[in-house]
Parts: sequence; structure tokens; C-alpha cells
Amino acid sequence: MKTLSFLSVSSAALVLAACGAPQTDAGDAAPAAPVETVDATQAALVDLSEVSSATYSLERTHAFLEFAVGHSGGISDYIVHFGDFDADLVFDTEDPTASTLTATVNPANLIVNYPGDYKAGHADSGFETWAEDMSRNARWLNADNFPEITFTSTEVARTGADTGTVTGDLSFLGVTQPVTLDVTYNGFANTPWFGDRDLIGFNATTTINRSDFGMTAAIPNITDEVTVSFSGEFLQDE
Amino acid sequence: MPLSTRQSFVSASAALLLLAGCVSTEQSLAPIDSSNFELDKTHAFLTAQVTHFGISDYSIDLTDFDAQLDFDADTPTNSRISVQINPMGVDTHYPDPEKKADWEAELSTSGRYLNGDTFPSITFVSTSAEQDTEFTGKVTGDLNLRGVTLPVTLDVTFNGTATSPLDGGKRRVGFTASGTFNRSDFGMDALTQFVSDEVRVSFSGEFISAD
Repeated sequence: MKTLSFLSVSSAALVLAACGAPQTDAGDAAPAAPVETVDATQAALVDLSEVSSATYSLERTHAFLEFAVGHSGGISDYIVHFGDFDADLVFDTEDPTASTLTATVNPANLIVNYPGDYKAGHADSGFETWAEDMSRNARWLNADNFPEITFTSTEVARTGADTGTVTGDLSFLGVTQPVTLDVTYNGFANTPWFGDRDLIGFNATTTINRSDFGMTAAIPNITDEVTVSFSGEFLQDE
Repeated sequence: MPLSTRQSFVSASAALLLLAGCVSTEQSLAPIDSSNFELDKTHAFLTAQVTHFGISDYSIDLTDFDAQLDFDADTPTNSRISVQINPMGVDTHYPDPEKKADWEAELSTSGRYLNGDTFPSITFVSTSAEQDTEFTGKVTGDLNLRGVTLPVTLDVTFNGTATSPLDGGKRRVGFTASGTFNRSDFGMDALTQFVSDEVRVSFSGEFISAD
């Protein structure tokens, strides 16, 4: 049992028409196919037989990548999102452990909720905004010198019906270290606007020590430990 | 590195060094002798999350909100909190800047979504609290969203308290909170074929004592 709901093409188009920006690609010629969604609570989720074994690219309008550190010695989570990242996934449905993942993250594009005037409270900062400071300051992500963060998987293991680990090389601040992601496969979906191309969804999380990559500023008031979380969809390549 | 940047780097480092020596953090209610706390808006994060196609989490950051906490450290269940959220302040991280602006405006103002033109404030006012463990509990309150008021319960963790010389003697307390509600209960039933009815709300942030 994989199919939760089927919509007629006409009602799908109606919904689509009102979707707004996120579905602007939906447009032109929605093929005469039902909308199929997956009930993530069903055990059948782990059945990959109807999912294409193929190369997938990140569906960037439905993908979120954040990191969190503890602030004031850990009494709150300080949450920063990456606004520009991409990933390619070779998904092997017969043997998921043969799958490979590469990801690139632009450290110059950070989204952080800093209300108010950053310069007013940080007159001696050489940067206009806190996001820019965090991106470019050598104490932090040092994006001017290290304009790309990359992750390349080296080993995939299954740990449960829909879970696994993806170990890979994380290159950050000029240092490359192995990192292991805990990954959950959330299921697949098909939509009229992507035709036969499958969408597959994952959550992933990992924890690193930033000092391992040479970033030691403000420890322990800002924790050494950084939690990285992803949730998003990959779209089968054409 | 340009000189101006270097100078600011050095002074910022010195400030941080000072800070590193003096911040005191502990997960204890004992040192808290204040009751009135204001949200430190620069260290506070509020996110609403729905499930898209059943296969991924779609996150919407709420970027303009405030809260007042009346914290009773002796009897935490007597504490009260009031939260105000501006539905016009949303960040969807949509990658295309132009579409991002359109999408966020629609999300904020459309009658299908937050309907912020008609209902310019989302509020939560606590009505009761219970303690589960030493540092965890539940806070129930009235959530007013799109003109509909319904009770919502949050799971809350007290993460600790800190003092820093940069705060001029004021005390910080840090919390994490999360809860769920069904958006259809508030009349928001658009796209339930694609997007979960259940909305998961999560907060992490700090409050600073008013005195």
C-alpha cells in the first residue's frame, strides 16, 4: 500500500492553479496522470520496487539545510539556514548501500533571523549584517577564503527499514574530515508537473565539532558541537 | 585583510575573550531571582513546519515575534507567557528571490494561508502549566490564529540560565518548546492533498530579565 490519495487531473490542476510561486513550474502541460502521494506512516515505505533506480538532483524549492549551535553555554539553540546548496544523488533501489551522494554548500549565503540594526549594536564589525559577518569573517565560515563546503559520500549502510547512515568526506574551512549522516528515507511521490520523474524525500542529521575544522571562536559560550539537519526532496533527472 | 577589518577582528576577539571568561551557565532554577523576562529577539527562533507530499518537512521561519515571560522559579507551574507573532514576517528560504517575495507575500496575506491583512497578529496566551520532570513541562494556552482561538499545548524544556557581563547584571533563561495543531481547525485547509494538516511549531530562544 503506497498510495494515499488520487486526484483527478482536473482537481489537481485547480489546486495547482492556486498554488502560487512554489509550483510555478507546474504549469504548462500537466500530463494525464494521477497525483500520487505516499503515506509516510506505512510499512510499505521501505518497498523501493516502484522507485526509479536513477540519478536524482536536489529539488531546491523543497529542501532545507540548517545548522544549530548552543548559545550562552547551551541554554538555547542558535539556528542558521543555508540559502544556497545543491546535491546529486545516485539512488540504487536494489541495493541502497550502493547509492552515492555529493553536496555543495555556499557559505556566503546564510539565512539567519537577526531582527533590528546589526551595525547599531556592532559598530566595530567590518560587515553590514550579522549574516555577512558570519559568512565572511575568518572567525566563522570564512567564505572569502573557502567559498565552498562539500560533502562526498564514501560509504552507505542500512540501519533499519527506512533508515541508514551515509558516511562521507566533509570539506570545510580547508579541512577534510569523515562525517556520518543519520538518514531517513521518507518515501516517494509523483506529480503531474514532473510526469514520470520520481520525487524522493529524506531527512538527515549529523553532529560535528567545529573545532575539528579549526573554528574555535567563542567556545564554550557558543558550543563546539554543531548539529546539522536536512529535510528535502530529490527529483529524478530527465 | 584590510586594516579596518583586522582592527574589528581584534576588538571582537577581545570582547569574546572577555565574554569567554565571564559567562556563567547552569541548568538550575535556584539562581533565578527575577520574575519578569523579555524575549531576546536576537537569540530566538520560531519555526512552523508541515510535511510536503508526505516525504519532506517544509519549514517556515517566523521572523517577527515577541514574548513576555512571567517566570516563577519557585513554582514553575505558576509561570505565564504571552506571545505575539506578526504574520507578515515569514521566511521560506525559497531559492529564487522574485518568487520568494511573491510566495511569502501570499503566505502572509492570502485568505488561504495566514490572512495577515485581516488578522494582523497571531497570539498565544498561556492558561495553565504542568511540570513533568525537573526541567520539562507542558504549557497550555489559547492560540489565536486567523481569528480562531483554540487551546494548544507546548512541550517545554528549561535549558538553563546564564549571566554575562555584556548583559549588565541581567539574567538569561533559555527554553526550547514544541507543539502541534491541525491548521484545518483554524480554517486553513488549502492543499491538504499535498501538505499535511498537522503543523509542528518549534521554538528555541532566550529571555532576559527586565530588571
